Amino acid sequence: MLIYRLVFIFMPVVIYMSFMWAPPAAILGDASRILYFHVPVAWVSVAAFIVSGIQSILFLVSENKRREREYMAYNSAAAGMVFTILTVITGSIWAKLSWGSYWNWDPRETSIVVLMLIYIAYLSLYSSLKEHPNRGGISSVYLIIAMITMPFFIFIIPRIYSSLHPDTIINQEGKIHLEAAMRITLFASIVTFTLLYGYIYRLMNRISRLEIKAEEKHYDI
Amino acid sequence: MQSRLFKNLRKDFLIEFRNRSAMNISFAFAGITTLSVSLACGGASLTPQIHSVLLWIIIFFSGMSGLSHIFIREEEERTSLFLALHSDAENIYLSKLIFNIILFACITALVTPLYLFFMQVMPVYRLYFILTASAGSLAVASITTILGAMVAKAESRGSLFTVISFPVMIPVLWISIQLTSDSLEGGSPPELRSLLFLLAFSGVIISVSYLTFKFIWTEQ
Repeated sequence: MLIYRLVFIFMPVVIYMSFMWAPPAAILGDASRILYFHVPVAWVSVAAFIVSGIQSILFLVSENKRREREYMAYNSAAAGMVFTILTVITGSIWAKLSWGSYWNWDPRETSIVVLMLIYIAYLSLYSSLKEHPNRGGISSVYLIIAMITMPFFIFIIPRIYSSLHPDTIINQEGKIHLEAAMRITLFASIVTFTLLYGYIYRLMNRISRLEIKAEEKHYDI
Repeated sequence: MQSRLFKNLRKDFLIEFRNRSAMNISFAFAGITTLSVSLACGGASLTPQIHSVLLWIIIFFSGMSGLSHIFIREEEERTSLFLALHSDAENIYLSKLIFNIILFACITALVTPLYLFFMQVMPVYRLYFILTASAGSLAVASITTILGAMVAKAESRGSLFTVISFPVMIPVLWISIQLTSDSLEGGSPPELRSLLFLLAFSGVIISVSYLTFKFIWTEQ
């Protein structure tokens, strides 16, 4: 779809806005600019997990397009894994700049690591079921079981245990504590990284579709 | 339905008691891990937090060593297809779940007193301690039953079971460690809602597993 190609226009604009247009934060200064990359990749990590989970549920409940659903769930998880690693890296850099150490086992740091472990577990399970005819069904059930634990990490733990992490975009007061220019840059970046995920995801799905077609035609690729 | 369930359960217990090696290994693993931890600590004075972490690590790995066995045995002995023809998926799941809950309750009942004895620690809130160990074991058994069914169908089962279990098990371990620490430490009584969380978590996992087990057991 054409909309995902907008990423080629939006990405340079967002990079410019992040480094040149948005003002530095009051205490952190220019180091705060990592916000425009850390928050969007964290959002995409969770969004990719949700997409993967939805595709898994659809795989189990629908009668047709099952093969397609299977690789769509897998591809979203594979893309989500990359974004989760980026979240961990950008989060560690930000933690070092603001708290003085790369890792603190803060509740929010823990929740993103758990998400990464779920991705690793899912991808490991999927690859070890290579020869099994029910690969899609088994891996889909795993993702659904793993999805049950996610609200605990994303919504419950950070609210029970004290965290050094700044307020999330949607906090308990329902307000965004950012200047207008910073807010616009952040939302532009979130949209751009979502488009980037959509673009990569579509490409991966196209490749999977071609691989299946080639398999069906007995081509060896 | 009930008669099939009890027949399956009886069959599992009979097979395990006839060939005790798997169960003996599970119990031996749990006992040896507890002893090796206490030996390594060598009478050192540990905080309640460290005690609860060590206890739950032992319980977690004891579960990892034995709880997938019930499904792996069906695959290794090539009886899973026959079982699928004989009983519906829900019956099979419930019988394996009950078996795992009983087995893991026995393992926890072995590990916990051994740990308390060798580490010379006594919980201040004993009832909370027992309830936490019971609710935590129930949660571990309910998670590992469905994951054991998945692993039985995969290659490189042993290491994969730990890899896929750990992320799902973290909420249970987190809450159980906190509750155990509170019941060992004294001070303010542990929160009842955390205990309820463990029971609710087990309930949700068992419900979802019951609904989705047929997608694992029967080829779609």
